[in-house]
Amino acid sequence: MISSDALTSYIRRAMPDAVVSVTDRTGTMDHFSIRVVSNHFKGKNLLDRHRMVYQALDEPMKDGRIHALEIKAETSDGT
Amino acid sequence: MADPIEEEVQKEIKANKILIYGKGTKQMPMCGFTRETMQFFDRYGYPYELIDVLQNPAKREFLTGMTNWPTLPKVFIDGQFYGDTDILDPMAAKGEIEPLLKKAFGK
Repeated sequence: MISSDALTSYIRRAMPDAVVSVTDRTGTMDHFSIRVVSNHFKGKNLLDRHRMVYQALDEPMKDGRIHALEIKAETSDGT
Repeated sequence: MADPIEEEVQKEIKANKILIYGKGTKQMPMCGFTRETMQFFDRYGYPYELIDVLQNPAKREFLTGMTNWPTLPKVFIDGQFYGDTDILDPMAAKGEIEPLLKKAFGK
């Protein structure tokens, strides 16, 4: 279980410009769907973008606060 | 000497054009994302294999290192890693999956 604020701050630590929207999929605050918009994703393919998000969330994923995660990773110009 | 887990994984990837490493079995997927991934491939009608790594932490860890991808399921198509449905769904929306599978199955 993790708050959306805490989750967002993990991502901002890695990508300070990130705009993060968090959806709690199950009402238990551990299955999330997140959308991250950041220009750090520019020039990166989808696999690498997702790797960047997983890396930023490594700690809460390893300790179990995040159990499941669905990711959308975009840049500010919508790519 | 080659790592036996690595050999096993390479063999599995080679033997299955569509391979899902996930949780549970086709009859009883143990994870919503594994089920979603099966449903994704059901739409295309090509055979796929699901290999359960839930009870095999060493293999899970090997796969995570190999792909640099922390979560299950992990999908391989024609030997290439494609992540999970977060990657496959946008590819499908762009019409990229059908030709990829056609090519993989030599059709």
